[in-house]
Amino acid sequence: MISKVSRRTILKASAGGVAFAALASPSILRAQGAYPDRPINIVVPFDTGGYNDRLARAFAPFLQEELGQPLTIINRGGAGALLGHTFFLQQPDDGYTILCTSAAPYLPLNVLTQDASFKLEDFYMVNLPSQDYTLMATSAGSDVKSVEDAISRLKADPGSLSVGLQPASADLVNFSILCAANQIDSSAVRVVTYDGGGPARNAVAGGVVDVGFVGGEGFLPLAEQIRPLLTFDSRKRDNWEGAIVTDVLGADADFVVGSQRGWGLHRSMQTSNPEIFKTLVGAIEAASKNPAAIEALKNQQLATDWYGPEESNKMLARTAQVMEQYIELLKGN
Amino acid sequence: MIELNSVSGAFTLLSSDINAWLYLLPGLAIGLVFGAMPGISITMAMAFALPATLYMEFLPAIVFLTAIYTGAGFGGSVPAVLMGIPGTSSAVATTFDGYPMARKGQHSEALGIALASSVIGCLASYVMLFVLIVPISGVVLKLGPLEMFAVAVWGMLLLGSLAGTQMSRGLLAGTFGVLLGTVGMNTAGFVRGTIGIPWLLDGVPQIPAMMGLLAASQLIGLINTTYLIEDEGSRNISFAKILGGVRQAFRYPTIIFRGSLIGVIIGAIPGVGSSISNLLSYSETKRNAADGDTFGQGNPKGVIAAEAANSSSEGGAMATMLALGIPGGGATAILLAAFAMHNIVGGPSFIAHNKDIVYAVIFSNFAQAVLLFFVGLGFVYVAGYVVRVPLRFLIPSVLVVSTFGAYAIEGSSAGPITLWVFSVLGWAMVRYGYPVAAAVVGLLLGSLLEGNLLRTNQISGGDFIGYGLERPWALVIFALMLGSILLQVISKRRRVKQAALAAAQTG
Repeated sequence: MISKVSRRTILKASAGGVAFAALASPSILRAQGAYPDRPINIVVPFDTGGYNDRLARAFAPFLQEELGQPLTIINRGGAGALLGHTFFLQQPDDGYTILCTSAAPYLPLNVLTQDASFKLEDFYMVNLPSQDYTLMATSAGSDVKSVEDAISRLKADPGSLSVGLQPASADLVNFSILCAANQIDSSAVRVVTYDGGGPARNAVAGGVVDVGFVGGEGFLPLAEQIRPLLTFDSRKRDNWEGAIVTDVLGADADFVVGSQRGWGLHRSMQTSNPEIFKTLVGAIEAASKNPAAIEALKNQQLATDWYGPEESNKMLARTAQVMEQYIELLKGN
Repeated sequence: MIELNSVSGAFTLLSSDINAWLYLLPGLAIGLVFGAMPGISITMAMAFALPATLYMEFLPAIVFLTAIYTGAGFGGSVPAVLMGIPGTSSAVATTFDGYPMARKGQHSEALGIALASSVIGCLASYVMLFVLIVPISGVVLKLGPLEMFAVAVWGMLLLGSLAGTQMSRGLLAGTFGVLLGTVGMNTAGFVRGTIGIPWLLDGVPQIPAMMGLLAASQLIGLINTTYLIEDEGSRNISFAKILGGVRQAFRYPTIIFRGSLIGVIIGAIPGVGSSISNLLSYSETKRNAADGDTFGQGNPKGVIAAEAANSSSEGGAMATMLALGIPGGGATAILLAAFAMHNIVGGPSFIAHNKDIVYAVIFSNFAQAVLLFFVGLGFVYVAGYVVRVPLRFLIPSVLVVSTFGAYAIEGSSAGPITLWVFSVLGWAMVRYGYPVAAAVVGLLLGSLLEGNLLRTNQISGGDFIGYGLERPWALVIFALMLGSILLQVISKRRRVKQAALAAAQTG
């Protein structure tokens, strides 16, 4: 079989293609149009199916409504969100790329432990509606009855209980804070490390490990198979039984919040494209306060609370600060 | 275990909603096509269809997605048989005997065998799910690191079968694969062997690496051949031969049953799944077969074992997802996302309160398995024409599609780069007589092996034996493994004796 297509025909076709592409991309020709005049990308630095991906996909229709342009979700998972965060910053700060991520703990972790090429300050958090927390739990059938029970056993013999958690996580920091406050030698505890929150929770529910320290929101589907022991927050969360950390460690207890997830922009946009910056922040605020959005996200167990940029950036900075104190622990030394 | 009330409720649900049936066929077709494209995984096919299900009712949405699941599960086997490139990682063992069969001109039979084994495996797994959903889910969560490690070691036994004539080279290739599988951040947070490349932090991208190793070793080796099948007369694709293959599959019910059982159990364990079950089933079948020596040269039993196991893993994964609300892998994670989109949360309470929906999903999967047979027949018939394409067109096309697929699955040039690096590696291994398949098995099992060994060490505080004695299931798995090896030794010895006896009588 010999192809009958001549080189000239191919040249003609490709020239036509180039002309067509030029015509079909008005964004290049009229770059000065009112923002936004083309689709906007949402970068999610995790694979499909995780919390951020679900949040981005559920929220997109409402944000789309505010902006008047379709939103495309780009999943850039890998290396603890380092790849996705780097990719996001590499995109121009023209308002056509926004970020949906677990700002804490991943941004501080990228910076503190992974030699990231960026600083925390390169990101500007518009809103971090999802505020996860560490839950200490055991399996429903376990003989560990309460957090006091667990603490007294670990005090008597640090090797008496195995503890499941993720390395380099807020949960690990909280675990060592609890140990330090109770004079437990955390290096003698049998700590079992898991690659993700899901496997760690499964190990807790199945009684493979005696207790686990894992993000609490993810435990909700497993509620019947676990016994919550301690919530690392100053208030009760998701109606979990058991103690809260301020009861156990005192009102000024030092603990780290879990994942803080939500929407981010390039901080440089504030000066380079201030008008677009304002439009985007306003659109995210309006969509977050849209009753239909709140209803839809609540049904999928996703958060929409509006904290605003000032509060969100402050919360992230505070988390980063506490994490920096535990940098050696997070680095695995 | 079966509640008749709910069963009749399920029938009412299914018969009242014609939509639930309308999506079966397109779902299967989408799954088959996507699964057959190298690099497009089952998960990607389902993720692609997920937004469309937002506008469907709950039951049709789940039926549509599970139909894609079923279709893609078999789709991956078609390129595995025809070109030796698994479309998905669950079809690796299918290449071992399917591809040699195709090269011998038995491509029609091989595809028929694969199809029939898949259909029966899928049916069997849902029957088991129907009966065993509650007990399976009770056990799955209790499996600890030692049990998982035992499963991984069992998978490694396959190396012995893949080594070919030189055991040392097989072991070396397998060890190399395991080492590659440990690249990246390990479960305790330590980073090894990434040579400063950030995307290696999550390990070597498995699917592009696997495609590179297998594709290059097969395709580059074919460079001086003009057609996949040398003999021109065997190059036609015949319906009768496909059906002949289907009948052949029915002749080995024990292999299918063993494969389905392994598939359901392994598929039900979160994080293990069909990419391991097909390897286990293949190695068990080979070890127990009288003609085990001819495995790898185009023995139909190898295809049956691999296909029965990989398609029955779907039922196992569904059991874990439905009963516990835990995704065992990417595909069930997408299904759970679809549940969430319809405001339904999986898990024990879901099963307790919605038994009729659970049974409706199971019944619709029976129908899917049966329909897959007919849709698959047509698909296989068309796909079989690949053997008539001259290799000078086929090889470049396959390499280009693989490159696209590798890009698609990683979403960055990490995919194609991995594909090419491993293509060169695969070619070099073949050139110097090292079994590529052993490296692939090592790569697939490496992180499972290492992560669980490490966790066993952590959880036991270093006291492996003391901890092992507390884990009866791990002991059971190890005992089964030893028993299986012993059985093989005994039966081999008996065969040798019989052969010697026969030789003495005739001679």
